[in-house]
Amino acid sequence: MAEHTLIAPITEQRATELRRSPAEHLAAQFAAAEVTGPHSLALREVPFRTMVGLRVVPGTDAARRVEELLGTPLPGRCGGVAICLGNSVAAGSSVLWLGPDEFLVVSPLGSTVGPAEATARLVEALGTDPGSAVDLSANRTTFELAGKAARDVLEKGCALDLHPRAFAVGSAYVTQLGPVPVLLWKTGSETWEIFPRASFADYLGRWLLDAMREFHGAR
Amino acid sequence: MLLISCPNCGPRDETEFHYGGQAHVAYPEDPNALTDEEWGRYLFYRENPKGLFAERWVHSSGCRKWFNAVRDTATYRIAAVYRMGETQPSVTGGAK
Amino acid sequence: MADLLPEHPDFLWRNPDPKPSYDAVIVGGGGHGLATAYYLAKNHGMTNIAVLERGWLAGGNMARNTTIIRSNYLWDESAAIYEHSLKLWEELPEELEYDFLFSQRGVLNLAHTLQDVRESVRRVSANKLNGVDAEWLDVDQVKEVCPILNTSDKIRYPVLGGTFQPRAGIAKHDHVAWAFARKADELGVDLIQNCEVTGFVKDGNRVVGVQTNRGTINTGKVALCAAGHSSVLAKMAGFDLPIQSHPLQALVSELHEIVHPTVVMSNHVHVYVSQAHKGELVMGAGIDSYNGYGQRGAFHVIEEQMAAAVELFPIFARAHLLRTWGGIVDVTLDASPIVSKSPIENLYVNCGWGTGGFKGTPGAGWTMAHTVATGEPHPLNAPFSLERFVTGALIDEHGAAAVAH
Ligand SMILES: Cc1cc2nc3c(=O)[nH]c(=O)nc-3n(C[C@H](O)[C@H](O)[C@H](O)COP(=O)(O)OP(=O)(O)OC[C@H]3O[C@@H](n4cnc5c(N)ncnc54)[C@H](O)[C@@H]3O)c2cc1C
Ligand SMILES: [Zn+2]
Repeated sequence: MAEHTLIAPITEQRATELRRSPAEHLAAQFAAAEVTGPHSLALREVPFRTMVGLRVVPGTDAARRVEELLGTPLPGRCGGVAICLGNSVAAGSSVLWLGPDEFLVVSPLGSTVGPAEATARLVEALGTDPGSAVDLSANRTTFELAGKAARDVLEKGCALDLHPRAFAVGSAYVTQLGPVPVLLWKTGSETWEIFPRASFADYLGRWLLDAMREFHGAR
Repeated sequence: MLLISCPNCGPRDETEFHYGGQAHVAYPEDPNALTDEEWGRYLFYRENPKGLFAERWVHSSGCRKWFNAVRDTATYRIAAVYRMGETQPSVTGGAK
Repeated sequence: MADLLPEHPDFLWRNPDPKPSYDAVIVGGGGHGLATAYYLAKNHGMTNIAVLERGWLAGGNMARNTTIIRSNYLWDESAAIYEHSLKLWEELPEELEYDFLFSQRGVLNLAHTLQDVRESVRRVSANKLNGVDAEWLDVDQVKEVCPILNTSDKIRYPVLGGTFQPRAGIAKHDHVAWAFARKADELGVDLIQNCEVTGFVKDGNRVVGVQTNRGTINTGKVALCAAGHSSVLAKMAGFDLPIQSHPLQALVSELHEIVHPTVVMSNHVHVYVSQAHKGELVMGAGIDSYNGYGQRGAFHVIEEQMAAAVELFPIFARAHLLRTWGGIVDVTLDASPIVSKSPIENLYVNCGWGTGGFKGTPGAGWTMAHTVATGEPHPLNAPFSLERFVTGALIDEHGAAAVAH
């Protein structure tokens, strides 16, 4: 039987054109919400970064092979973030602790180190041992919230202690912002990366815009 | 609102967790060997004490791991938290 | 508004000390215990009986519920007992000579998804076959019944229609309790408050008395009507019940002009809202997830139901929360009650009404009285036996039991 496809195969270029990020429609509102001055705030979506979900039990041979590949020990505690060595498969990526045997390998903001490549190599490293590596890049998007008032905004809906003495730069926690499950990563003294799942991005984006509103008058 | 200490993540708001009911209820080794009464008890009967209760929670919006807690169902005070597979620590007191 | 409420006399019943012995003792002086006592005396001539209440009469769930009364349940067994109960409600104000403000303003159960619609239409058909007044309303008809409801299709879960039971409604719960209490008292029943049952006296497998903080009381029969505390009492008597006790909360707003003509329940958006006679908005939703005897729950549960209410009724967005509270509800896995003999001879259990037993108060009392008096269940409560958890003949009312009514 002859092979017929109803839909023409999508080229890589066409795929890039078609691609829509979960909060793309909010970009203009995000930009307009910027606040300068003593209560500065800036919110943007940084879409399409690579995220690979990794399940492996630390201390096992499989974990050791994965660590070798990533060029870093896996983070060992809640909040922990490890940085992959420059010559590793995920050079410059970070490994975020999600649970005792669950991690997220995240490419640097704005970059994509080929997810397929990284995932395949991790799968290979796991071999036949228990564990998994799955490309989850489409699962979550990234919001970057920066500014002097960023913590005030987040404190409106996050029950974690966000004070620097409890939430250090370079740590990341799985928690909730408002009613939305997120990964919250403090990447600088006034900069936070927030990972909502794609389907929550619209809601969380609007939630953040609303939470930022009070600071507009204070600019 | 309960403040629940996840063994992996530390104290978090109750909203991050889901409840799993009574802990330490094993699936019958050979369900086919049970009488209807025994199977009915396994399916439908759980302890419901007023006082200390060993129960399961899962940290859904956190590390996604199940764990056990001993909680007083009258005061809601959590007396102990322990991992799956660990034996229940002995705690005393609790409302009557 | 206040002139709607009946005059309030100082005492509606005697305050007797317990006698050493009764023909039957009812444990728990909530609505169900009082109704059981009333029907034991009235229908079965058993007047040498007592209701033992650890606190004050009707201070448990009877004082804390949101008083929704309806009978539009799915299965034949449920329709029969709840409809019997509703018919009793219709007679009771006259029979008990007490206007407890039973208001048949109808109850709307909203459908927001195609699955809701299918389930609702099926339930309406089942209701009709069982002689229960029930109608399927489309959106416009829903809007007619309740004009303040947001029926726009621009919201997250647009209203696609709803079931309506015109004879359903609300009543004033504490007045209901007082009405039963006064009549039972007149018929000779001893209503004994501050009397906590702490144990059971048994002769072999037969119960012959109860221990209380006010001494041992001999009795031929015991009727457990302890709602949230049923498991604790059953344990004392030596058996287990397939129920779990949970906090269930509700809330009221400040008083407002009367704008809400009916009762609206939504499984999907998850809240129910009515407006009491004085004008406060009365809302409730689901149980707190964990087992609890604390008569309190978490604020996020309240917050979520208020958010749901504002989604359905934007007009209430600026209403102020006045008060929240919680009761202890006795939940079964099939969302149906247990009105049954127990493994102990002469000891009977009425429990498992969970989040929805106010509407069942007369029906539970009627069938429980029959069971206690004759030693055998009435045909109406026979399906609601403990045996169903062995035979598997469950009566699954999770759909119709709705957002915890
Ligand atoms: C917030 C809330 C909202 C609700 N809304 C609705 C609704 O809208 N519609 C509806 O149909 N149902 C509703 N319900 C459910 C309904 O209130 C209950 O199913 C019903 O009241 C239970 O029966 P009862 O009145 O006998 O219970 P209760 O009033 O709780 O009576 C049980 C009594 O037993 C007593 N007792 C316990 N232990 C002992 C002991 N050892 N010795 C002596 N006495 C003891 C308790 O003190 C209590 O007074 C609601 C419940 C709650 C909590
Ligand atoms: Zn955790």
